[in-house]
Amino acid sequence: MESIYLAIPLAPLLGAIIAGLFGSKIGRKGAHIVTILGVGIACLLSFYVLKHIAFDGNAFNGNVYTWAAIDGLAFNVGFLIDNLTAMMMVVVTFVSLMVHIYTIGYMEHDEDNWPKGSLVGRHSYQRFFSYISLFTFSMLILVMSNNFMQLFFGWEAVGLVSYLLIGFWSTRETAIFANMKAFLVNRVGDFGFLLGIATVLMYFGSMDYAEVFAKAPEVEGVTMSIFGAEEWSVITVACLLLFVGAMGKSAQVPLHVWLPDSMEGPTPISALIHAATMVTAGIFMVARMSPLFELSTTALSVVLLVGAVTALFMGFIGIIQHDIKRVVAYSTLSQLGYMTVALGASAYGAAVFHLMTHAFFKALLFLAAGSVIIAMHHEQDMRKMGGLKKYMPITYWTSLVGSLALIGFPGFSGFFSKDLIIEAVHASSTPHAQIAYWMVLIGVFVTAFYSFRMFFLVFHGKERMDDHTREHLHESPWVVTVPLIALAIPAVISGYLLYPMVVGDFFKNVIAGVGTEGSLATEMKDHYHGIFAFIAHGLMSLPFWLAISGVGSAWFIYMRKPEIASWFYKHFRWLHTLLDNKYYLDAFNQRVFAGGAIALGKGLWAAGDRCLIDGCMVNGSAWIVKKFSAWSRYLQTGFMYHYAFSMIIGLLGLISWVIYKTNVLGISG
Amino acid sequence: MSFSLATPEIFLLSATCFILLLDVFLKDKFRSIGYWASLLALGVTLVLTYQSWTEAKALAFNGMFVHDTLSVVLKMAVLSIVTAIFVYSKPYLIDRKIFKGEFYSISLFATLGMMVMISANTLLMLYMGLELLSLSMYALVAFNRDNGRCTEAAMKYFVLGAIASGMLLYGMSLLYGLSGSIELSSIAEYVANQKIMSSVALLFALTFIIVGLGFKFGVAPFHMWVPDVYQGAPTPVTMMLASAPKIAVFAMTMRLLVGGMEFGSEGWQQMLIPLIVMSMVIGNIAAIAQTNLKRMLAYSTISHMGFVLLGFVSASEGGYSAAMYYAITYAITALGGFAILIALSHEDGDAEELDDLRGLSRRHPWYAFMMMLFLFSMAGVPPLVGFFAKLYILQAVVSAGFVWLAVIAVLMSVVGAFYYLRAIKLMYFDKPIDERSISMSISFNALLSVNGLLVVALGLTPSLMALCLIAIKQSI
Amino acid sequence: MGFEQIIFYLFATALIMSAVSVVTVRNPVLAALFLIAAFFSSSAIWIMLEAEFLGVVLVLVYVGAVMVLFLFVIMMLDINTDLLREGFMRYLPIGLLIAVVIAAEMILVMMSKVFDKPIPAPLPANHSNTEALGEVLYTQYVYPFEIAAVILLVAIVAAIVLAHRKRPINTKSQKPGEQVRVKSSDRLRIIKMDAEKRAGS
Repeated sequence: MESIYLAIPLAPLLGAIIAGLFGSKIGRKGAHIVTILGVGIACLLSFYVLKHIAFDGNAFNGNVYTWAAIDGLAFNVGFLIDNLTAMMMVVVTFVSLMVHIYTIGYMEHDEDNWPKGSLVGRHSYQRFFSYISLFTFSMLILVMSNNFMQLFFGWEAVGLVSYLLIGFWSTRETAIFANMKAFLVNRVGDFGFLLGIATVLMYFGSMDYAEVFAKAPEVEGVTMSIFGAEEWSVITVACLLLFVGAMGKSAQVPLHVWLPDSMEGPTPISALIHAATMVTAGIFMVARMSPLFELSTTALSVVLLVGAVTALFMGFIGIIQHDIKRVVAYSTLSQLGYMTVALGASAYGAAVFHLMTHAFFKALLFLAAGSVIIAMHHEQDMRKMGGLKKYMPITYWTSLVGSLALIGFPGFSGFFSKDLIIEAVHASSTPHAQIAYWMVLIGVFVTAFYSFRMFFLVFHGKERMDDHTREHLHESPWVVTVPLIALAIPAVISGYLLYPMVVGDFFKNVIAGVGTEGSLATEMKDHYHGIFAFIAHGLMSLPFWLAISGVGSAWFIYMRKPEIASWFYKHFRWLHTLLDNKYYLDAFNQRVFAGGAIALGKGLWAAGDRCLIDGCMVNGSAWIVKKFSAWSRYLQTGFMYHYAFSMIIGLLGLISWVIYKTNVLGISG
Repeated sequence: MSFSLATPEIFLLSATCFILLLDVFLKDKFRSIGYWASLLALGVTLVLTYQSWTEAKALAFNGMFVHDTLSVVLKMAVLSIVTAIFVYSKPYLIDRKIFKGEFYSISLFATLGMMVMISANTLLMLYMGLELLSLSMYALVAFNRDNGRCTEAAMKYFVLGAIASGMLLYGMSLLYGLSGSIELSSIAEYVANQKIMSSVALLFALTFIIVGLGFKFGVAPFHMWVPDVYQGAPTPVTMMLASAPKIAVFAMTMRLLVGGMEFGSEGWQQMLIPLIVMSMVIGNIAAIAQTNLKRMLAYSTISHMGFVLLGFVSASEGGYSAAMYYAITYAITALGGFAILIALSHEDGDAEELDDLRGLSRRHPWYAFMMMLFLFSMAGVPPLVGFFAKLYILQAVVSAGFVWLAVIAVLMSVVGAFYYLRAIKLMYFDKPIDERSISMSISFNALLSVNGLLVVALGLTPSLMALCLIAIKQSI
Repeated sequence: MGFEQIIFYLFATALIMSAVSVVTVRNPVLAALFLIAAFFSSSAIWIMLEAEFLGVVLVLVYVGAVMVLFLFVIMMLDINTDLLREGFMRYLPIGLLIAVVIAAEMILVMMSKVFDKPIPAPLPANHSNTEALGEVLYTQYVYPFEIAAVILLVAIVAAIVLAHRKRPINTKSQKPGEQVRVKSSDRLRIIKMDAEKRAGS
């Protein structure tokens, strides 16, 4: 089995290496064949592993390679393969495989995206495939890890690939700005994450998950002082720091600012990295660390509130966006907020379940948006679309499936997971859970509203595009539509895994609380009476009617009476401006953090660098070095007897030292 | 007598003599048969050495010859490096019309000398091996005999080397006089019964031994020959000087100081410290003033050898194995660096000025990238092997309590980074002066790529360091 | 002071003085001769230490072979002694100072008690130094002996590589072998010709 576990991440890596280093040799066709083959193998093996782990019950935890050992602390490369990991592996490789296939169509005319004859644009097609395969490798390493060190490696590796891909069209100003922003914001998160790992290492003395979790009850009562005399619980500090990392990667307020901008990258990676997989790494990590988070109510409370704020307020922004990809991006933010809320409510199973369903339907929505973008000749403004239904039937129907799943329409996958989250928050005992409950509840309406606003604007109503575009409108090629259909299927049916996955014992021994008496998970199990009862109950509950009213008002406002929208715009101008400026967070960051850092840097540069370091240390030491090296050059005369003489002097020095040390002369010292 | 332990040496000697004779009967047209025969000889020796892998220490030839894990690992390193040198140097030798069989036979004799040193168990054998190595190297330095600079360099090397050998021999004879034995284990017994810091005669003998070793390592103030010889010698010979013999001298230091005088570590520790500090300061700072690439690398070697000796200063298993790791990895890195110089050379002259590197990234991006790897590794940039080598050394030194030495080492590495970075800047940001295209044989390029890969991989995977640790533990 | 000691100091003084003279005399031929004197003196000291074989070999090899060759070379090369001595006076003070300091330090060290070892008993009169050497050289010390042989081989190969040059093509030289093997037919060729009639007769 171990070799299978090794083969799963290594197959995409091999593909990435071949496509990346020998891209010019093997050509475009060779590049996509080899990478798809790599990911395909990984995907098949992942399904096999899922069967092996989940149905045959063979969890695996072991090291395959010791990278280094310092002072008894081993840095291992190892795998922890349990139900959670196996599920993540299947999601990652399946979505990745679909995206790989889809990319063939999306990037077909990529040379048009580069200035004529630019050097960086050469072989961009192969490079793109190499990157997404590399991403798959990194993500697999992240989820399969059995220790913090490897987790951090995967964490940084997916960050790197994300950075490379956001700025993929590196000749565009905006792309460069966006990837810089993503990089900097993630740095903040990663710094917290690293500190969290360091805290764990310091107090637990190990990097291995199993060892850390085993030691958690011991450390529970331990406190540490950070500033002054105030004592903090170690577990709380560690969890909060780890969660800062999750906030960066999973784009939670206020570290969410990079995700909307990341839409500068090509759409396939928006689907793969910035919707389905990488951004859920934070959720996955917290679920993985559930034995630690369970021990700190404070940390859970923070997680809950951050998630709720993200879920609701990011949804608001989605309402006023015109860029089709940005609407989906804000909905991703909001959905990530839902998952975080679930984590905070100790409903880790629900969070991970929503992670899975979301991965399918959000990837579907993004790829559908991409399909629309292809048809519109890379036009992303929804105001210039409309009535696409008759031109692109497959895209239309799959989008509808995705949107219904997103708003949580009963019967679709999103319904099960989202309803579960809302119920869990309602039942949660985490402090402030009731505030969060109302926030996520309103969020349901908002979600339905912006989703169907987008849906109606794109596929129904007047055709607002120019004539040239209209003439060329047609359904996308099969490489695009096949992945859409392939993703639409799990977007509908994956919800029916509700019973085995969340209510049942799928996550027993993996996620804290599952299977123990009196926990939230057990409570849910008691109230569960079969899938159809669940749907029937959903039809009568508040979230369903909120969603329906959201869809209805979107239809009414954007299809029937567009005047309402402009009336709102006129009378609530301040609200629109506030949302349009994303609550001024970007401006704030730009002014305070970026501006402040620049000012600080300039100040330090003037005072410290130019004066002290340049003046005294650099130039001063450089001057000394220069003098010294000139002098040593002067000593190197080229005459042999000078060389011999220097050896004799060296000998003399050593003998004198011996005589001094052994005190042969009898001088007492 | 268990001759069989020395099978690799015996085979190499026979094969070398055969190649020497074979070459006499070869017409110029078939000169490369000698080259292939030499590669074959090295390959077979490598296999024989590998097969002789042992967990147990064994002696042969009346205790003259020692066979242990340390010797097997070091011999394999030396043999592989010499093989690589042969492959790298072929185009250079052909261009300069010195593609003669004697180059190979003398190099093989030098290799034999290194193997003798590595397996030496007596003072006598250490000295014999060293002389065999040195004599071959003198001849190789002067190999391009019609070049004035070559002969000048050889002359300097020869005379200064003879002085150093004399001192080493004097120290050894004193040691023999004191202990009454040439066998290292008996010497160790004798030293164990003495108080090193009050035994003036022992320290006196040690002084001369340190001078001799210092010269062979090329550490200050016994380093003056290094820049001149590196510059004057043909580039393949410089490559040889900078790589394999350093491993052999490491072995010699290991056998002599650790094997023979471990209980005197307090003495040699303190003697080595000034040499190390001077080497690091002089090596790194003088390198900055150089415009000649070979001289620059020569000074960088001086500072690197300071690092190797630094590993000995900690007088611990960790320190020795770090020094071993450093010597091997440095040899591999230097090999690559000089290979690039060979690639840049052309019939009209060696590429040895820093200016020759200008714009290399435009002339041949792959070579530029490889050179960047080698230079970064020498500068100690993670995750390349040079970083880990420095890290292990510093770790050992700090745990031995010499924090100030570690601080100096780090500071001087920072100074050193300047000239490595300058070379990289020239490659990547300047316009080429010489626009000629560079092309080398497939075997050359393949080997260079493997070399570059090793510089990355040996650092990332700890297997070599683990091997070094096992070898050192077993040999002590 | 016994007779042996007198002899020892005699040869030791001769050794040091001739060694100093090697460095200081102007004439290189003279320097070489002083070196020979130094070898003789040290060989005498070795013989006093009951190492007759080594003493004899020193005279045979170094005096008889090496130094004679050395003298040939010196005489063949016209060395400008003035050029060699340039700067001698300039470096003399510092050189002398260092030499004196090192010598003083070495004397200090050598005088320490460690070297005060008991004098070993003299060997019996019929003990043969040569025999003792012969017994171990090819048995116990065969490995260093072989390596020494390899060193000599390298020296020979290196010397040939560095010094040997192909002769220019048009040099004239006698080849005795061919001279001996020559046959009359090589020197004289008899050509048969038909008688020709005088033209016009």
